[in-house]
Amino acid sequence: MSVVASGNVANKRGVGFNADTTLGLLLVSPIVITMVALVFYPMGRTVWDSLHRVNPMQVGTPFVGLENYSRMLSDAQLATTWGNTLTYVVLAVLAEIILGVLAAALINQIKTGRQWVLAAVILPWALPGVVNSVIWLWIYQPGAGLLNGILVALGLPFENHVWFNDRTSAIIAVTVVHVWRMMPLTIVIVLAAMQGIPAHLYEAARIDGATRVQMFGLVTLPLVRSAIAVAMTNATVNAFNLFDEAWVLAGASLETRPVLVQIYLETFQNLRFSYGMALSVVVTLVSLLISLVYVLRVYRNTRFD
Amino acid sequence: MHKFILPLLASAALVIAMPAFGQDAKPLAGQSITVLMPSPQGPNIAEDFEAETGIHVDLQTLSWDDIRPKLVTALVAGTAPADVTEFDWSWTGQFSAAGWYMPLNDVIDADTLEDIGVAKIFTVDGKLLGIPYTNDFRVMLVNKKHFADAGVANMPKTLNDLVAAAKAIKEKGVTEYPIGLPVSATEGASTSWYLLTKAFGGELFDKDFNPLFLQPDSAGYKALAFELMLLKDGLVDPASTGLKDSQINESMFSQGLTSIMISGEPGRLGQMNDPKQSKVAGQVEAILVPTESGETRSFGLPEALAIPNVSENKEAAVAFVKWFTSREFQKKNAVNGFLPTRTSALSELNEAGKLNSGDALVAQSKTVEALFPQGTPPWYPQFSSGVNTAINSAAKGQMTVDQAMEAIATAAKQAMAQ
Repeated sequence: MSVVASGNVANKRGVGFNADTTLGLLLVSPIVITMVALVFYPMGRTVWDSLHRVNPMQVGTPFVGLENYSRMLSDAQLATTWGNTLTYVVLAVLAEIILGVLAAALINQIKTGRQWVLAAVILPWALPGVVNSVIWLWIYQPGAGLLNGILVALGLPFENHVWFNDRTSAIIAVTVVHVWRMMPLTIVIVLAAMQGIPAHLYEAARIDGATRVQMFGLVTLPLVRSAIAVAMTNATVNAFNLFDEAWVLAGASLETRPVLVQIYLETFQNLRFSYGMALSVVVTLVSLLISLVYVLRVYRNTRFD
Repeated sequence: MHKFILPLLASAALVIAMPAFGQDAKPLAGQSITVLMPSPQGPNIAEDFEAETGIHVDLQTLSWDDIRPKLVTALVAGTAPADVTEFDWSWTGQFSAAGWYMPLNDVIDADTLEDIGVAKIFTVDGKLLGIPYTNDFRVMLVNKKHFADAGVANMPKTLNDLVAAAKAIKEKGVTEYPIGLPVSATEGASTSWYLLTKAFGGELFDKDFNPLFLQPDSAGYKALAFELMLLKDGLVDPASTGLKDSQINESMFSQGLTSIMISGEPGRLGQMNDPKQSKVAGQVEAILVPTESGETRSFGLPEALAIPNVSENKEAAVAFVKWFTSREFQKKNAVNGFLPTRTSALSELNEAGKLNSGDALVAQSKTVEALFPQGTPPWYPQFSSGVNTAINSAAKGQMTVDQAMEAIATAAKQAMAQ
């Protein structure tokens, strides 16, 4: 009876389930339309085209099934670029998380002028990737580069040392630039979580006789785990998408070439568009799967229900 | 009275008819076209063309390496990147297979084609896809002052002479790294290797596109071994693994930091000898490419202008291509570093003494061969990428010559299989 009565009241006032639903749909429609037009449709189209042969040098776009995917297994250059990309991912994620969490903890201790420090830390992230890379290109330069200059000033034999002539140092050099650019984001995410930790937890730990290191390990870290998971997901996806740094610093050099540069070359140099699309699909899936592992693991460890 | 009226009427008729005459002379006046070319270009191209034809030109320039991605992305989407675009010799096979450019056979006269011999590089299955505007081939650029300072009296004719001269320059301390040679993963590393392969008396492929560089006694194999020897002996800067040919030209050779450009571009002579752009002005000259046998060889890398099929202003675009490749304009454009593709313009400039190292350029131009006598294959860009990637790895000590040659052969095989 009351349901009927309230239903009548609602109808009289011109609101109710249908009106709420309509309003809700109207409110979400811009983002739904945007996502469908700019994300889901292009993604679906990319997957569909990757099952065809799309090559402007050849007539037609016949369905080829998984041929573009099976070709990856016999592509030697692709294997090398995957090796490079996975190395970048491991090195970059580790460096960004370890250094980023430590830097966030350090900044969290600053009582005055924290915003200025944070603004300075964020600067590399705010700059375009190409600009960062060009700055580092000057730093790494063999002749007049800052890095060699500092090492020589310290009495080390690095005159005209070419950092990109050795695969290990080249990979590290590219990773350093990427970490330099992306670590500020980790710092911001983790710092925000640290600032949300109640002060009384630290007071209780101090009363219990915990040292600073113990407080960091037993109070801070467990409470910022979900933020670290978000930062790791972000770091992983960004490391899989590494392009600017490798391209500006070492061009198409195979020793530093990540998968994304390989996709660019296959697509715009060799005009094998569908193969490039298949590679993009695989990179997206791999980075999402790895990110999902962090998210699910941390979600399991931090859920309270 | 009639004496005055008749001339007056005649003058009035002439004044009324003038605009019509003008329109006949400039039938496409008022149209607009876009042109996409590599930077730098002469400063007055758009103004001069508009003054002559009445056609407005929006000239866009990009660095050479950035043009191709722009063309490909636009053309694959079915839009015109510009009404007239750059068209490099190395894109001929690929762009022809894609059918992106209009054949120009019917709009260019036979005399022009006869005068521009390198036009055949842009002809596929009888279709002329581009009209060459810059006659790029390879010569050797040397700093004659450096040679004199090192006591080297004769310019090298053989590769042994070249090494001996470079060693003398290094030993005298004139330059630390006398030879400029790109070994980065860029097109410049590929073209240098092609030139050295020819200098060792060989070719890249046989007529059926089977690789000819796999055996240790083959020219291609010896060419890469020669490059690595130059690096090992400290005659080439080890930092060349990360430098494009343009960077070596601009930041090393024209700064006096290196003495010999093995794979020199004739078009750079003007820039090298211009005191505003070069520290070695007046010291640079072109010499014939030294070879193992002493008989010079070279190959052509001309660049052309072409018109996309999807251009909406084809008539005006054709007018621009004709104007830009005309004899008069080519002679004028030589001061901007563009060597004429017309034999007549080249000869006239040389006879007038307006070409830097004119005799050497004319002599070398007579030895210019096509890199692919069968026509540039559609898979060239992929093959070239395989070449410079392998050379770059070998130069960094990550591959042996054997492995590099195998990698290049594999790249060629995979490219051909597509």
